[in-house]
Amino acid sequence: MLGRYEIRIYNKRVHYHFTIKRNITVIQGDSATGKTELVRMIADYENNKESSGITLLCSRPCVVIENAFWKEKISSLSQCICFIDEGAAFLKSKGFAEAIKHSDNYFVLVTRDSLEQLPYSIEEIYGMRQERESQKYKGAKRVYNELYPLYNVKADQRLLPDVVLTEDSNAGYMFFKDVFGEICETAGGKSNILSRLLKTQEQELLAIVDGAAFGPEMAGVMRYIRDTDKRIVLYAPESFEYLLLKADIIGHTSPVTEETYSYADSRRYFSWEEFYTDYLVR
Amino acid sequence: MKTVLILKGGPMLSIYFGDDPGEGYIFNPDVFFNNMYEDGWITSAVSRQMIQDIDGSEVVGAHLIESPFLGPIPPERLSGGVKTLILIAHDQDHIFNASACGDNCSGWLLRLAEDRDIVIRLGYIMDLGKEPFSIKVLNTGKVVHTMLELDEEIIGAHLLGG
Repeated sequence: MLGRYEIRIYNKRVHYHFTIKRNITVIQGDSATGKTELVRMIADYENNKESSGITLLCSRPCVVIENAFWKEKISSLSQCICFIDEGAAFLKSKGFAEAIKHSDNYFVLVTRDSLEQLPYSIEEIYGMRQERESQKYKGAKRVYNELYPLYNVKADQRLLPDVVLTEDSNAGYMFFKDVFGEICETAGGKSNILSRLLKTQEQELLAIVDGAAFGPEMAGVMRYIRDTDKRIVLYAPESFEYLLLKADIIGHTSPVTEETYSYADSRRYFSWEEFYTDYLVR
Repeated sequence: MKTVLILKGGPMLSIYFGDDPGEGYIFNPDVFFNNMYEDGWITSAVSRQMIQDIDGSEVVGAHLIESPFLGPIPPERLSGGVKTLILIAHDQDHIFNASACGDNCSGWLLRLAEDRDIVIRLGYIMDLGKEPFSIKVLNTGKVVHTMLELDEEIIGAHLLGG
């Protein structure tokens, strides 16, 4: 599945409006922000269509996957946006990861637990809130909800790092080693970043990770950054290959990085990180 | 106040981090609540306060809650977070999956554990606030008192992967 999809769903009391543009989107955040209500409305619409009283506007069908026969339902769907609420026990299973890898569907997962089996992007982890500009609907009786990115790592922070830690152990590591010299170390994979940040005695650290698949680690890393006295800055471009493409140094490749959702077919690539690497090689 | 409780060895919040806390574990407290809640749980003073605080809703009666967003709703339409808190407050026979609770529920988890020992399961690092607390990490048996101590215990023992 390719593309970005705007979804509007509303009834007489609540209205949701958001855009989905990758194979995996995760919704987290505080209780009582309307996450389960969103999934319930999509299920009501899926089961009853217009008779539900709900209006759902999207150019692709939106469906809800629940515990019963989840594998069979996923394998029967194509070009759908599948919503799964946190009560789904299979979300953390290897079987689920296998079922959605190379799937021709997009998945929106409501869960606070990290899903280590899945390579989701830090850019596609959202919280939910009432729309800040809801004054534009002044007088309306509905509550307007929107998704907002839970992690903002774009802040410009100055740092003279004692250690530069890269998730990558190949080309990315070699590049940053060339830039930073001996203080650059590789963690040897994204799941080692957090324990390396914990173990290091140095006080100023720069961690460079591939944001396109770092989602499962993000909550833990950001929690530790907030709580520790160490000064840690996270630099999370989509991937090292993304940086090369974005730089336009190998042909005119930056359009691919701006509208990746038009190129990275979910049937072929589990994450955009895989797409950027493959595109660069080709 | 909290420091005194720590020194006295009072009731404590115990948390299992990971996927299988053992016998009596309820993975999906939302569905469990819908099928098992008792009327008195909804109208109890602590539930009324939690429903007001987390959902912003007012308990009108055992079967009716006034939500500012959804209008009049039955208890089954409460948020997953507040349902889980109500279960933890009233059902001492089960271990509930507190990943159904967001960070905004953490104050209530600590407050409920001031009255009696409470055991929950978490699959993420909940923000338990800046005030010192006393929490036992069941996987390792260690008692921690700050968020940084909790982070270090979870990360160091690889309790949530990594």
